[in-house]
Amino acid sequence: MSNPTIDTHLSADETTSEPLLVVDNLHVEFVTRQGLVRAVNGVSYTVDAGESLAVLGESGSGKSVTAQAIMGILDMPPARIPKGEVRFRGTDLLKLSDQARGQIRGQRIAMIFQDALSALNPVFTVGWQISEMFRVHRGMPKREAMKKAVELMDRVRIPAAKQRVNDYPHQFSGGMRQRIMIAMAIALDPEVLIADEPTTALDVTVQAQIMELLAELQRESNMGLILITHDLGVVADVADKIAVMYAGRIVEKAPVYDLYKNPAHPYTEGLLESIPRVDLKGRELYAIKGLPPNLLDLPTGCAFHPRCPYRKPNCVTDVPPLYEIDGSRSSACHYYREVLDGRAG
Amino acid sequence: MAEPAEPILQVRDLVKHFPLTQGIVLKRQIGAIKAVDGVSFDLHRGETLGVVGESGCGKSTLAKLLMALERPTSGEVRINGRDMTKANSAEVKRMRRNIQMVMQDPYTSLNPRMTVGDIVGEPYEIHSEVAPKGDRRRKVQELLEVVGLNPEHINRYPHQFSGGQRQRIGIARGLALQPEILVCDEPVSALDVSIQAQVMNLLDRLQTEFNLAYIFIAHDLSVVRHISDRVAVMYLGKIVELGKDDAIYERSAHPYTQALLSAVPVPDPVGREQRERIILQGDPPSPADPPSGCRFRTRCWKAQDICAEKEPLLEIRAGNHASACHFAEAHDVIHI
Repeated sequence: MSNPTIDTHLSADETTSEPLLVVDNLHVEFVTRQGLVRAVNGVSYTVDAGESLAVLGESGSGKSVTAQAIMGILDMPPARIPKGEVRFRGTDLLKLSDQARGQIRGQRIAMIFQDALSALNPVFTVGWQISEMFRVHRGMPKREAMKKAVELMDRVRIPAAKQRVNDYPHQFSGGMRQRIMIAMAIALDPEVLIADEPTTALDVTVQAQIMELLAELQRESNMGLILITHDLGVVADVADKIAVMYAGRIVEKAPVYDLYKNPAHPYTEGLLESIPRVDLKGRELYAIKGLPPNLLDLPTGCAFHPRCPYRKPNCVTDVPPLYEIDGSRSSACHYYREVLDGRAG
Repeated sequence: MAEPAEPILQVRDLVKHFPLTQGIVLKRQIGAIKAVDGVSFDLHRGETLGVVGESGCGKSTLAKLLMALERPTSGEVRINGRDMTKANSAEVKRMRRNIQMVMQDPYTSLNPRMTVGDIVGEPYEIHSEVAPKGDRRRKVQELLEVVGLNPEHINRYPHQFSGGQRQRIGIARGLALQPEILVCDEPVSALDVSIQAQVMNLLDRLQTEFNLAYIFIAHDLSVVRHISDRVAVMYLGKIVELGKDDAIYERSAHPYTQALLSAVPVPDPVGREQRERIILQGDPPSPADPPSGCRFRTRCWKAQDICAEKEPLLEIRAGNHASACHFAEAHDVIHI
């Protein structure tokens, strides 16, 4: 099943006890006419087989750029990666040749995108696009690859897969298109699946279907899942652990239960409190004041300090490191103890 | 809330069918998209009616009908007792002063070549009797201040503002003519979570300050619950359930509402394994060819023969509020 060339390439490191995928101190910058945009500033996280990591953040927080750097689909230039490593089974992907990267992309690390309609090619049938995975990566003959495509469409529960394999993307509904994307992503049994806002464009009832499908596929094949989202509800439903991003940095890392029970960063706390809740109906919602920062001109010290209720003078000058709280949690706030105790200002 | 005698907005059997045609020269009508198909409700002064439903259920078409941006196929939209659908264009123009709209996407609903002052002041160009020319600039600055923007930014362009600020500009424009009704079509869904709360608080404050009535259209059920006094649930062009927010969220009687509520992810991982989930199969059917009888029956787990034969009317059934299901049964699904 597997392609011998990649196996030999990576086997030397496969015995290490490191997690499946390690992002280590990753930096990504974009050179633009307005100046240098520092989109990702030292992000580190890990995913193990069978584990679900949710990367939570608002637009511009760098969550998608990190994922694109892992996949190697950033346009360089304007993007560049001045520092950092992305280790997959011990091998730094950023140091591999384009060809070696292409072997890993899609086969061992796969990705699904938010907007399935623009991610699929409108002029080819969905069967052709799914079977392309087998033709290109496995050198399978057309007829056999098509048969595989039907099997996959069945597996992601597209009704009447055999009849619909020759349909074009526009003939499917949003939820079905997202299933086709998932079929393509899992075609070659990847070890890591990155889902970038997979349900944001979908209705809630369809979102529930897709999230259930992803969870089931993950259970079956023991994939590591990186779920990128801004939806605190979706995260609470599926994640094992969470990395919260703000202005290109991870501000808090925690197991899912701990984070919702007692956040250790003022930003996470603000996000959780701004969710409308039944018992607070009729009252003013808590709102994080101010605006997300401009990536061209990040605030000094802690990037969250202009909006933070816990701010003290050193927050303006000193960049907080990611403080280890206990074995499993960390927070990039100088005053995480106060946040944990809920003592603002 | 004490119910005032006369509702400010009365909608009766509102229908909008978009014709489907075939042929280029001789267009033959071969069918119709039944976008809104018999919707009735009342709205009182100072009240918020939330409208929820999935894409394609007709909630945005409903908004356009209320604004008289689309002519309805049949039905009535009465504002303060006057039927807007039968009014002539001069009357419609006058009536529109009383019902204004906030659009979903603050990036495309503001003209990039106009300054904020021109955008917010444009309603005064159309309804020049509201504000005399010399007075407009001051009025616009007042409006900007009301929605929490700096009045000195009146000469800036939309691109100089963030998404949340742009939505405030849209709200200021909606308020310019001092309407009694504001139709908000997904006003916060394009915004980041931390900004959503700011805009919701603003809408809340403006309602108290100006005694506004809101039609609040959204797909985010927790947002709708927070702001609404009553909630209407739409499915394929019809209201399937209508009631006070507690009734809809705590004692929903229609299977679709129950499925919709159970599908909303709860932002709390505790007890996620035990949570009751109703996962609907398939997608909503096409509004061009809706199922006979009850439109939800093709995805409903309670469906029986009668559902295909007889259309359930929206009337008081289980739970003391209106629902349109032959087998309505109050059922506590989930709390959000």
